Amino acid sequence: MTRSDFSFKRYRKWVIPLVLLAAVTEGAAIVCGATFGKLEEGLIKGAAFFRFMFPPDWAAFSEMLEPAFQSIMIAFLGTVFGTLLSIVFAVLASSNLAPGWVRNSARFLIGLERSIPEIVILLLMIAAFGLGPMPGIIALSLGCVGMLGKLLADIIEDLDPVMMESMESVGANKMQVIVFGVLPQILPNLISYSLFRLEINIRLSVLLGAVGAGGIGYELDYSFNMLQYHRAFTALLVVVVMVFGTERLSYILRKNIKMEGALK
Amino acid sequence: MIEVKGLTKSLPNGRKLLDDIGFKVKKGEFVGILGPSGAGKTLTLRCLNGLLKPDSGSVIVQDELGKKHDICKIDKKELRQVRQRIGVIFQGYHLVKRLSVLENVMIGRLGQISTLRSILYGFTDKEAEEALLALEKVKIAHMAQSRTGNLSGGEMQRVAIARAIFQSPTLLIADEPISNLDPSNAKVIMKLIRPLSEHIPVVGVFHQPEMTAKYCTRVIAIKDGKVIYDGDPKLSNKRLEEIYGEELGQLEQYEYNAPALAINEEIRLL
Repeated sequence: MTRSDFSFKRYRKWVIPLVLLAAVTEGAAIVCGATFGKLEEGLIKGAAFFRFMFPPDWAAFSEMLEPAFQSIMIAFLGTVFGTLLSIVFAVLASSNLAPGWVRNSARFLIGLERSIPEIVILLLMIAAFGLGPMPGIIALSLGCVGMLGKLLADIIEDLDPVMMESMESVGANKMQVIVFGVLPQILPNLISYSLFRLEINIRLSVLLGAVGAGGIGYELDYSFNMLQYHRAFTALLVVVVMVFGTERLSYILRKNIKMEGALK
Repeated sequence: MIEVKGLTKSLPNGRKLLDDIGFKVKKGEFVGILGPSGAGKTLTLRCLNGLLKPDSGSVIVQDELGKKHDICKIDKKELRQVRQRIGVIFQGYHLVKRLSVLENVMIGRLGQISTLRSILYGFTDKEAEEALLALEKVKIAHMAQSRTGNLSGGEMQRVAIARAIFQSPTLLIADEPISNLDPSNAKVIMKLIRPLSEHIPVVGVFHQPEMTAKYCTRVIAIKDGKVIYDGDPKLSNKRLEEIYGEELGQLEQYEYNAPALAINEEIRLL
């Protein structure tokens, strides 16, 4: 090592990237009309608004329990159906279980699904089913496929090929190979991923509720629109407790699933 | 009985992997296939139960009713039927590690029961009893409820044998069944396979001439895709050299050319 390695010259390679980043950031801020002045103004207003919301309307608390429960149930049903749908798609999207063209089409559909936000699916489903939990459940189910379908398909493709060959060599058919060879081997991952997806779906079900799927999200949106800010604050607290609680629960459950040997 | 005639398989570039392989194995025979690596032993074995389609040739097997089938020519459905009665033991005990030992043995019958019943894991008491009996034959009935992934290599290979027994096969194929095992476990496995050959033909690929000499009734040697020896399992040193000779020669040549040796030489000269 020489003296020059410690001189300021070593920062030279950072100059151009940093200048570029600064220029792009400034450009983006101009396009969006974002300024620090506006941020300051917003923070002051926000703080005032928060003071205005305080204290929460505890009388409304009992009214929030049912919608909160409904939100959790929407997330739960969405995850159950979504997981089942994901298993079907994952099997179709695995090169060791499906012919090439089926695998590629299934992978394409899964990728396509992943590129559409749940909220867009919900809006499409509301057009078909009307407002309420039903379009929410369907949007969340389809949302699962984009994530779980891909993850499970990748795991299936990594399964021991000789294990599957050895099942075929006793005369087992595809269905039997899936039920006896594939499902038991992917089960720990399947449970762990769907619990993780349940966490995501609970957060999403609040969001979707505000757009028209009912539940606690609707209560939140409604209270704001009716200018009942104390009530909105109660709803917000319920959401925080609900999301935090289910996340912890799912984390504890996932930690206790034995992953050893799952991929062998 | 299994009869193999004129098995040929070539790579697209014309290199022959299997060149007119032919042999016949009757019941009462335990045939060990020997040969250097890459000679085509495993390839031949894979043709025996249709995991590989040869370019030409035929593999005639008899099912439990005595009807003959040519594995190389039958369609998928018939192949599945024939496979129900062909027991296969693989090199690396490729069982379903998260299922119990008993369930892994049950897999042996999957081809013989209806899909609907099997996907509900609906095995009958009689089948469970027979599966336990098969496990008793390989002396691990006490492990029936254990998770297969927790077993040792030797134990897993015994489960694989029990699965094959449970199939009530008319032919048993073993692909390097003892290659991953320590010598004492290897002997146990050979001792378990040997008596099966009293009722059905058994064909296995091995890497240990001393084992095939001890347990097999006949040895077939394959080299460069051709059968170069077929007969008594006790091989003379000269014969062994003939079978493995080239591989040994290549190894010596490689060592001679190895850079490590060259460096040693330089150090010595210094």
